[in-house]
Amino acid sequence: MTPPAQTETGQRVPEPDRRLPDLSLREAAGTGARHGRSLIRRSWVVLAVVGTLASLIAAGVGQDRTVNAGGLPLVGDFFAAALRPRLDADFLALTANATLTTLGYAVLGTALSLVLGLVGGVLASQTWWRSATRRRRGIRMAGWGMTRTALVVPRGIHEVVWGLFFLSVIGIEPIVAVLAIGIPFGAVTAKVFSEILDETPQRPYTALLAAGSGRGAAMLYGLLPPALPDMLSYSFYRFECAIRSAAILGLLGVGGLGYELSLSFQALLYQEIWTLLYALILLCGAADLWSSAVRARRMAPRRPGSRTSRVVIGSLLAAIALLPISAWIVQLDLSVLGEAGTRELTVQMLGDSWPPDLPSGGWTELLQLAAGTLAMSVLAIALAFLGAVVLAFPAARMSRAGGSPAGRAARLLMIAATRGLLLVLRAIPPPVWALLFLFVLFPGILPGALALGVYTLGVLGRLMAESAENLDDRPLQALRAQGAAALQVFCYGVVPAATPRFVAYGLYRWEVTIRETVVVGVVGAGGLGLLLDQQLATFDYGGAVATLLVFLGLTLLVDLTSAAVRRSLHT
Amino acid sequence: MPEPALFQLQGAGVRFGSIRALTELDLDVGWGERVAVIGPSGAGKSSLIALLNGTLAPTDGQVRVLGRDIAAASGRERRGVQRRLGTIHQQFHLVEQLRAVHNVNAGHLGSWSTARAVLSLLAPRDVGRARQALERVGIGDKLYEHTGNLSGGEQQRVAIARVLVQRPAAVLADEPIASLDPARGREIMDLLHEISRETGTTLLASLHDVDIALERFERVVGLREGRIAFDAAPAALDPAEIEALYALERGAP
Amino acid sequence: MIALRTSELNPEKPMCEQRSVARCVVVVGVVAALSVVLAGCGADAPGGSGAAAPDGGDDVLTVGAIPDQDPQELQRRYGTVADYLADEVGVEVRFEPVTDYTASVTAFRRGDLDLVFYGGLTGVQAREQVPDARAIAQRDIDAEFRSVFITNTGAGVDPIADVSELDALAGKTFTFGSDVSTSGRLMPQFYLSEAGVDPADFDGQVGFSGSHDTTAKVVEAGSYQAGALSASVWDERVEAGEVDTTKVREVFRTPTYYDYHWVIRPDVDERLGDGTAAKVEDALLGLDRSDPRQRQVLELFQAEEFIPTKPENYRLIEQVAREAGLVE
Repeated sequence: MTPPAQTETGQRVPEPDRRLPDLSLREAAGTGARHGRSLIRRSWVVLAVVGTLASLIAAGVGQDRTVNAGGLPLVGDFFAAALRPRLDADFLALTANATLTTLGYAVLGTALSLVLGLVGGVLASQTWWRSATRRRRGIRMAGWGMTRTALVVPRGIHEVVWGLFFLSVIGIEPIVAVLAIGIPFGAVTAKVFSEILDETPQRPYTALLAAGSGRGAAMLYGLLPPALPDMLSYSFYRFECAIRSAAILGLLGVGGLGYELSLSFQALLYQEIWTLLYALILLCGAADLWSSAVRARRMAPRRPGSRTSRVVIGSLLAAIALLPISAWIVQLDLSVLGEAGTRELTVQMLGDSWPPDLPSGGWTELLQLAAGTLAMSVLAIALAFLGAVVLAFPAARMSRAGGSPAGRAARLLMIAATRGLLLVLRAIPPPVWALLFLFVLFPGILPGALALGVYTLGVLGRLMAESAENLDDRPLQALRAQGAAALQVFCYGVVPAATPRFVAYGLYRWEVTIRETVVVGVVGAGGLGLLLDQQLATFDYGGAVATLLVFLGLTLLVDLTSAAVRRSLHT
Repeated sequence: MPEPALFQLQGAGVRFGSIRALTELDLDVGWGERVAVIGPSGAGKSSLIALLNGTLAPTDGQVRVLGRDIAAASGRERRGVQRRLGTIHQQFHLVEQLRAVHNVNAGHLGSWSTARAVLSLLAPRDVGRARQALERVGIGDKLYEHTGNLSGGEQQRVAIARVLVQRPAAVLADEPIASLDPARGREIMDLLHEISRETGTTLLASLHDVDIALERFERVVGLREGRIAFDAAPAALDPAEIEALYALERGAP
Repeated sequence: MIALRTSELNPEKPMCEQRSVARCVVVVGVVAALSVVLAGCGADAPGGSGAAAPDGGDDVLTVGAIPDQDPQELQRRYGTVADYLADEVGVEVRFEPVTDYTASVTAFRRGDLDLVFYGGLTGVQAREQVPDARAIAQRDIDAEFRSVFITNTGAGVDPIADVSELDALAGKTFTFGSDVSTSGRLMPQFYLSEAGVDPADFDGQVGFSGSHDTTAKVVEAGSYQAGALSASVWDERVEAGEVDTTKVREVFRTPTYYDYHWVIRPDVDERLGDGTAAKVEDALLGLDRSDPRQRQVLELFQAEEFIPTKPENYRLIEQVAREAGLVE
């Protein structure tokens, strides 16, 4: 240390390096285990880079034929139509109707997924099984393991595939969309709810059990109340996802914005497409805002004595009110489920789908397509991750001390612009992106990868921006208080604190993206999705099951990798 | 020393909306002084520290740090002043995801160029000084440890090491030992004292523990409800005055 | 799920304070109860949206079409024919648009659609799924349908005079339209195979653009060097100037084949009264240009008249579909 009077001028007084040999040894010994962990982490980084490069090569990037400049005018036509959407009264009425239908499907699908999630969540929680069979550890582990495994299949199959299945046995009925959203979302929700339950402090629950109360009652009184805020927060996040999902499901013909979109799309009526896209952007934007508002209440520090936020109570009431309204809008009819025709077709279809049947190209074809699908998902998530990291910070409302009014206005403008961009990216369904990329790229997995990439970028960018907003501000304040400039605070405070969460988000979205390759496969972007689409179109259910099994294997591989990487993040 | 006092508060006050956190404070702290600020919870101790290090701007009166009116200073001038003030917090406020060496090096941020700061994240610069600082606080072996993995006492030492490399004119400590057990707390207090003595750095610490304040500091400032109740050497303090500082509000229903 | 995990890292107090937790539980309970009630009474919900397809009902003849046209056009075309049929046959007739080829076949199989104007291949698929369904009528133009092969002008393919010369397309990148389209996929694939060209002979994976219009556009863009689509759609787009013929051009027009036809379910008589199917058939075949209203129907279908058809007309399609694995 030098006296203060000297530091004013002498910032760089040379200091003798007093490194001692024994100290280095001690340090090396003490950090052995940690180096092991950081070595694992480093290996993941290397693997991610190698995987992305390999996927780029698989997608044919760098070969002479990648970008097709000839298609640029067509993309220009598409975006030019954004300025003159079709706005006559008839079409606006149709758009409004479709918007309500999409909203209705999202509400009903979410409701179903919450019911399934609550039941499945309890059954898939370790807490439940632990208290169910106190003595028999074997049964306990088996029961828990089986429930968890049972959730893998519905979760691994994309909503669109569920939709196609129900379409085949039920026909074009609103319930198809509700089931297609509710079942896979229900399985995801069950997994998350079970984790919430297991992470909730168990003492009140075990105390109630010890006092002789039944398991159900003990859970209701001891476990659910503290777990509820997290579950609610997650439910609203699911709703937000359900809107996007309902829009894509419309493509199957069950109505809503996606349905109208696909009709206008087949004839490439850009002006109509834009009217519908604007409606979709508004709907997604509103749902996202609602969900953020509810979830922000979850994060906000609360003053003692204040009650449950009005926003939350109001939102719950609104959600309840929306249920019957939605059922009315989409004309939900549950009676078809019990019809003899549905049963017959289900039995017939299940009979047709067994045994699984390899495609004409056999295992070679399946595995090649699987590799293409994997490469597509890797490229998509790499693009989405890098883009989202860049856009998350300008999109985040982070507290800044001071600043001129003009500076603040500029910042607000930047936040609004980035958020708007992210909203547009995620509101436009991936098949639409895929076609645009197909105009300017040569066919292959690249257009599909970019389509999924920009869409996922929209989702991921928003998640990351929210996470950046929720960073602990105190270390940043501490850095500012000692005179660090904004960019330095960013590098030393924001980036390191945000990185683990960002990586976790990226991995989670990768798990979603591999499932979503099915959606762009439909547009001819290749991979297993295209094969599956053709098999379903030709009623080749045996073939479809074989493809789905390979797909599930791939999904499982991605899930396991992602889980392993996330484990290595916890130091 | 011909220079003016390090910190000068003239009628300074802070309001959050209608709530007055600090009211009409007049306080001078000189070079090399060691001052303890005591008072009950909510007396305004943390606000005072924030006022002194420029995190908080006064809504009334004036705060001069190193002779500069900090509210009127430009951003660049303010950062120039701030780089000469080191702050230690009760909750440490370190970036837990960074290795200790980077948290210590964060003490340079006020003086390093941004490019240098970014490069240092990739390959730590000035490792010698960081190591030396950590050795000075007794944890030289934790240089490359992830900060989040360290114990509370160790994290507070990293925070002190960060202040050490910053080589500030004054160290502000906001309840530096409130999160630590008594033995660890005393060690940290001793350390801050030694450093202040060795380097002639001003030390201003807010404390819960009245005994430590009276025992170790040459000057004790008592805060109550945002006002200065007393400002004196420990020897000159009447125990009744201290008791009154912490007494529950009288006459209240 | 990570959204949640991260929020949990935040140590701040949860949304529901202990006092109001009970209230939250009650609210959620009400939500759950309501959804159960809803599940019970959802069937009674009144009508609202035109997009969703409600249950056909037993006394309604449901008319469907495969989505091969702009939706407004479809609505006008089938709305008009539905009104016409209602008057002629004397039953309630409703048009249900369907967006997906496969979905239309499924709906027909389930009985959600009674009468559908199918493409050649989807008609074969539908009759395969519903064995006693009958092909009752086709347009005059459907008896001589054609596809065109188009190429990007940069692909360097000269006009082709004979089917056997289609091998000039081998080695190019190539896209079909929808994978179950007769004129956009099945018959082009058949004529290619006549010239000895297998889909594997193209450069890279064969594309399925999804529709005739998209095929024209991606070939115009140059993303694909060649493609095939319905000749009538192509002619319309060229006439309307909607494709840039300096960038994409027709190189070959196939011989004619049978394509679209009306298919009716076998249980229509049972449900709507004996002779209903025959009345429908007569009404379609009897459309006459001299009547202004009937003329409008025919014009919307771009037909001079509807003519009888027979299962043999679709033998070739069925055979090609079997070879391509599109029909079991």
